[in-house]
Amino acid sequence: MPQATAPLPLTVISGYLGAGKTTLVNHLLRHAAGRRLMVLVNDFGDLPIDADLIEREDGDMLTLANGCVCCSMGGDFYNALVDVLDMPERPDHLVIEASGVARPARIANIARAEPDLALDGVVTLVDAENVAAQLADDLVADSVTDQIAAADLLLVSKADLVSPHDLAALKDRLNAINPAPPVMTCISGAVPVDAVLGGIAPSQDAKPSPPHDHEHEEAYARWSHETSAPFDSDKLQQALTAFPDTVLRVKGIVFVTGRHGPLAIHRVGRRITIADAPSSTDRTSRLVAIGHRSGFDPALLTRLVDGALATPGPQRPDSTQDKPPS
Amino acid sequence: MTETKIFAARKIVTMDANQPEATHVAVRDGRILAVGAHADVSGWTDAAVDDRFADKVLMPGFVEGHCHLMAGGMWRFLYVGFQDRVDPDGKHWQGVGTIEAVLDRMKTADAELPEDEPLVAWGFDPIFLMDRRPDKRDFDTVSATRPIAVMHSNFHLMTVNSAALKLANYTADLDVDGIARDADGEPNGELQEVAAMFPVMRRLGIDFRALGRSPAGVTAFGQVCKRAGVTTAADLINDLPDEDVDELLRITARDDYPIRLASMLNAMTQTAVETGERALALQERSTDKLILGGVKIVTDGSIQGFTARLRWPGYYNGASNGIWNVAPEQLNGIVAELLSKGVPMHIHVNGDEAIAVAIDAVEAGLRRHAAPDHRTVLQHCQMADRAQFEKMKALGLCVNLFANHIFYFGDQHAALTIGPDRARRMDACRTALDLGVPMTIHSDAPVTPLGPLTTAWAAVNRLTASGRVLGEAERISVPEALHAITLGAAYSLHMDDRVGSVEVGKFADFTVLDDDPLGVDAGALRDIPVWGTVLGGDVHPV
Ligand SMILES: [Zn+2]
Repeated sequence: MPQATAPLPLTVISGYLGAGKTTLVNHLLRHAAGRRLMVLVNDFGDLPIDADLIEREDGDMLTLANGCVCCSMGGDFYNALVDVLDMPERPDHLVIEASGVARPARIANIARAEPDLALDGVVTLVDAENVAAQLADDLVADSVTDQIAAADLLLVSKADLVSPHDLAALKDRLNAINPAPPVMTCISGAVPVDAVLGGIAPSQDAKPSPPHDHEHEEAYARWSHETSAPFDSDKLQQALTAFPDTVLRVKGIVFVTGRHGPLAIHRVGRRITIADAPSSTDRTSRLVAIGHRSGFDPALLTRLVDGALATPGPQRPDSTQDKPPS
Repeated sequence: MTETKIFAARKIVTMDANQPEATHVAVRDGRILAVGAHADVSGWTDAAVDDRFADKVLMPGFVEGHCHLMAGGMWRFLYVGFQDRVDPDGKHWQGVGTIEAVLDRMKTADAELPEDEPLVAWGFDPIFLMDRRPDKRDFDTVSATRPIAVMHSNFHLMTVNSAALKLANYTADLDVDGIARDADGEPNGELQEVAAMFPVMRRLGIDFRALGRSPAGVTAFGQVCKRAGVTTAADLINDLPDEDVDELLRITARDDYPIRLASMLNAMTQTAVETGERALALQERSTDKLILGGVKIVTDGSIQGFTARLRWPGYYNGASNGIWNVAPEQLNGIVAELLSKGVPMHIHVNGDEAIAVAIDAVEAGLRRHAAPDHRTVLQHCQMADRAQFEKMKALGLCVNLFANHIFYFGDQHAALTIGPDRARRMDACRTALDLGVPMTIHSDAPVTPLGPLTTAWAAVNRLTASGRVLGEAERISVPEALHAITLGAAYSLHMDDRVGSVEVGKFADFTVLDDDPLGVDAGALRDIPVWGTVLGGDVHPV
């Protein structure tokens, strides 16, 4: 039965066979950093989770040492989803690894319809080496195109296997299918977890993102911002829309004029959602963002959100920083 | 203890070319001891002749080659379809042809239902209720407080009342594909496809898989089969976890369970290697009444849901191509692996592109592995053209055509989904037989009602619901249709050595009819009453 708790964020990971969905899932599980992820795999085959992560295995459910869980949908989407939503203790974040030919928009649509789910985003992996062949294959071209078109974030895998020139051409081709989403590249699924999973809003103690000891982190930059002055909700939406494409994700808990409780805001790619957030005694608004380091301009982001305050002015932000990669 | 019986009938249609007609059949230990005239069987036994069927016609027990266990459990919900149906308890439910009749039936049910239970109905078909499309306001007149969900006959749509919309929090500002709206932008109660239906189904506890898994559902399924004259039925997809297999073994072993059940393992939940191993292990657990070891693979969706994979020129109304449930290259791997292990396969294919991909997968698999007598069955196979049937014949494939579609969805196919010309050659029974492809026909119950005589009628007459003939050239004769629902289906299940004809050594499974299907007008085939069945010599009146 539906519960009166906050909706469970759902991220859909899509991509054709061989695009690296499982590799990405392993990376997310390995770097979950305290979040209890639940991964539902909607493809037949093994659950190829790295053996060192697995603590317990019962039936088609794997429990990981870090509290994450991974299980097969058993071909029954409806029941698998009902089971997750009816769990006595829901996970922090649900990830669905869609099958290689699944239409992710259909899965995302469930999260839009179901009040107990909140769509966090559709992340589509694209195989740098083979996507051209897939798009030329009449049998699967429409599935692959659909996956690209439904994405909030596009992740080009095996980027090291093609030339920079081909990679640039590929990005153009992807954005011709779907102009909205930022395109990230990765090798072996190595991307910042907080770019793939927006999920949890920044907490009150504003803990920075967990340390990432990967060189891929150098390609990304983060921004965070706090203010005790309330925002104007329309202006804030405009400001978020004006964030440049180098920004992959923004999330925040904000206070706006005319409302007592806080709002959770969330931007993935170009899609912005605003929803009620659990009330809080502290009336500080907090925002964080992650983006590509090249072209990432934290001062611009600060300027944009400051302009969205209910009473804008040359107001010194409480804190703004571009966190160095650790 | 050996018990021998002799049944005498007005006529026994044997489906055995050596002796097409008989009057007496002797049964020992559940099997056919002898068949022919009285003199042909009396030499075996001095048992008295049981002549309760003296005015009946016996046929080999009908074999339904593609249906689903939930055809029994569905009756937990209220039937509001356009066609007459018979429920597991034998109650005849008249089809409801007007919105008022639908609502009246629902109001009666509402009055009898405990206060805290939702009202769930199924089989709804608004295209037959010509004047207008009912919406939430209609069902609000049944109850303003009790949530109501009315599942359409195609299972892709449901219409709910305002109480159900409220339960799912559906409001005007919700931006979800599949939530239909009225002129004011408010949800009008019609919900299309899984995403839009999910929140309502979850909150109302509508779980189709559970309907097929529960002991009550499996028992009800047996009753539905018996009433349609079916003695062997294939449940065409089942996850078959061990606990379900135990339960199925227990239920089917009961003397009063009136059918042999063939249950096909879902091949979409594990690797091909695991599927093959699991199927072989399940085969070992088979009994006379529970037949395991076959698998089901689903490639595309449905034509009426616009999810079937079509070749050029695609859908008649311009809808984009359908979906794959398995990537073609994955299908190749699964088929090759299962052919190598000798695991029988049933491959769901509706659109002609899916058919082409399945044929190619089998051809490629056969080049790698010799798979004698594999009898891989293309299930539904509705859009196959002549060239594809030629390939099927050459590769040893069988076909189970969805003849009921001609009647139930034929008008829609001609007008909307694939256009008149391809609709005329849908479910091409004549072509299959002419080219020598082993052929059977099915209901896919509960999608269409279980009833082999109705399915045979559909293949013989090819009449649509509006009463016109769709594809006269693909009609088959009554004897051919009767073969399809007995030996033809048995062959597709690798069971023709045990069921499908009245021959010495086979199970004593008969369908008992009030009239002779070879003696009535072809148009009246579906009107012949089923008196009951005989399973392994035991008599089961409806
Ligand atoms: Zn089916």
